[in-house]
Amino acid sequence: MKADDMFDGVTDIRDDLIGGAGKARKGGGRKWWLGAVAAVLAVAIAVGAFLRPGGGLTAYAVAQAQYPGQARQTDVGDISSLRPFFARSAQAFLTGTPGENRVYSPLNVYVALSMLAQITDGDSRGQILELLGSGGMDELRRQVSDLWNASYRDSKKAVTILASSLWMNKDVSFNQDTMDLLARDFYASSYRGEMGSKQFNEALQDWLNQQTGGLLKEQAGNIKMHPNIILALATTLYFKAPWMNEFSKERTAPQTFHTPAGDMEADFMNQINTKTCYWGEGFTAVRQSFEEGGAMWFLLPDEGVSPEELLDGGDGADFLFTVDKSQWDRQKFALVNQSIPKFDVADQFDLEDGLKALGVTDVYDPERADFTPMTADVDGPITLSMANHAARVVIDEEGCTAAAFTVEAVGGDAIPDDEVDFVLDRPFLFCITGDSGLPLFVGIVNNPAGN
Amino acid sequence: MDDRAIVELYHRREERAIAETDKKYGGLCRSIALRLLGVREDAEECVNDTWHAAWNRIPPDWPRSLGPFLGRITRNLSVSRWRRERAQKRFDGMDALISELEDCVPAPGTVEEQVERRQLARVISVWLDGLEEGDRRLFVRRYWYGVPVKELAAERGEGANALSQRLLRLRKALRAFLESEGVEI
Repeated sequence: MKADDMFDGVTDIRDDLIGGAGKARKGGGRKWWLGAVAAVLAVAIAVGAFLRPGGGLTAYAVAQAQYPGQARQTDVGDISSLRPFFARSAQAFLTGTPGENRVYSPLNVYVALSMLAQITDGDSRGQILELLGSGGMDELRRQVSDLWNASYRDSKKAVTILASSLWMNKDVSFNQDTMDLLARDFYASSYRGEMGSKQFNEALQDWLNQQTGGLLKEQAGNIKMHPNIILALATTLYFKAPWMNEFSKERTAPQTFHTPAGDMEADFMNQINTKTCYWGEGFTAVRQSFEEGGAMWFLLPDEGVSPEELLDGGDGADFLFTVDKSQWDRQKFALVNQSIPKFDVADQFDLEDGLKALGVTDVYDPERADFTPMTADVDGPITLSMANHAARVVIDEEGCTAAAFTVEAVGGDAIPDDEVDFVLDRPFLFCITGDSGLPLFVGIVNNPAGN
Repeated sequence: MDDRAIVELYHRREERAIAETDKKYGGLCRSIALRLLGVREDAEECVNDTWHAAWNRIPPDWPRSLGPFLGRITRNLSVSRWRRERAQKRFDGMDALISELEDCVPAPGTVEEQVERRQLARVISVWLDGLEEGDRRLFVRRYWYGVPVKELAAERGEGANALSQRLLRLRKALRAFLESEGVEI
């Protein structure tokens, strides 16, 4: 490394560090606030032990969310109203980095933004509500609570759990009513400590690791709270499930995958099934069901079409976020020769650019951000300083657990009228949906071995 | 005029955006360019280039904080100009900064030579987060804003020599931090 590189590195340090040192301060040393709120999001799907929040963090705990022993049976109603948010956010967060693997969780981001709406007011809140397509906070809290309960699953084989937490600066007084709402409707546990201290950072990282089975340990290690942060929000989504129709390990074989950077070899899982094939302009898609509900959808772009292009408002995005895909008009029952690469893709990025492109700008603007529902205890402006999102998706022959048994694929005993080769040997899109059709994870795989 | 209103002018392609930018951030950008280049005409040219670059980047950009956004452009333009010209012409301002920052460069072989700029910036930001407020301000004012040591000493009511020693300790601390982060950066 050269000193020139150091100069460039210093040039690109975070805005708040630059703004905080902009003016000369005679005498120095006076304590002051540059208020900031951070949203930390982490999500994962993979094998691993699942731990409930709590263990090891009692020194900081203010309140623990009470998870239901069993989720309420909830009808999430017409979730097609969420479709514009899912489609727009997928385009904002998954495109713009051609050639790289991208993963994010639409549901996780939805919940995190809902929490952000709860602690903001005025236009800051209005921009978030508009993006989420919600008429107001009462409606949004009901929606999040319903989504939480509709998604919740914690059986021996399959797990889908959203978790939230609040990390509060011990030197700041918070509005108790707001904190109570967050605990009640967002199942958010709260912790209080010295912001920026090694111990408090480790406590947050431990919490993230607990919620995600340790699968995002590297990404959680990158999360560090600045001493000037007033409140950090963290939401996680953990998911694991076995395939309904397990892939035979004996049939897994190496095959060429054409990445944008050149050919590579990957282990492909192979299976022949009778199932429904879907298609639209620029893509073909199939569904791979999980044993206890939900599915993973694979969208293979046509030759010469990139996954990013499919997200650009055409048929691909339409299909991806159509909740009830049985209504899709271009489908046929067929004998499908599936070849799907095993993959392990992880991603971590700040949502800021995407959120701004989606119209959420005021929370970043010191002159416009309105965090009054959170606290009245800070003199200076409060802004959102970080909205870090991390996700990891891993698939293999079993899905995500060791135990699985084979069930015949959908389709009953109708005779397929066609045979289709579905070979994911070039960049493709995937979407993991829960029982209700909610998109839990969406991603682009350019390289099955990871970036 | 607040930042958002200025940015909206850019998005509406109103040329008044540049006048308003100069009014609010001309001083900041001129001082950065002048501290780095030392020649008033060169600095003025850099500032004009900064407005031109901002006009081209907004839209699509929607900068969260205009000051750091513009200052960063000015720094980049200044260092580009300096790199272009350093073979023929050398100036103490930039040379001094670059020379001092060499203290932070990890020992050869312990850190990958090619460190991506953005990753490096992230690591430096994390290191700055862990500093006492006074040290953090001191480092940023010296190495981002390019404020001379004498001026910093006057601002803080401290001796220039003592401040230089403090800056040296900070640079060494940053080097140790970069090394402790190893090849991850």
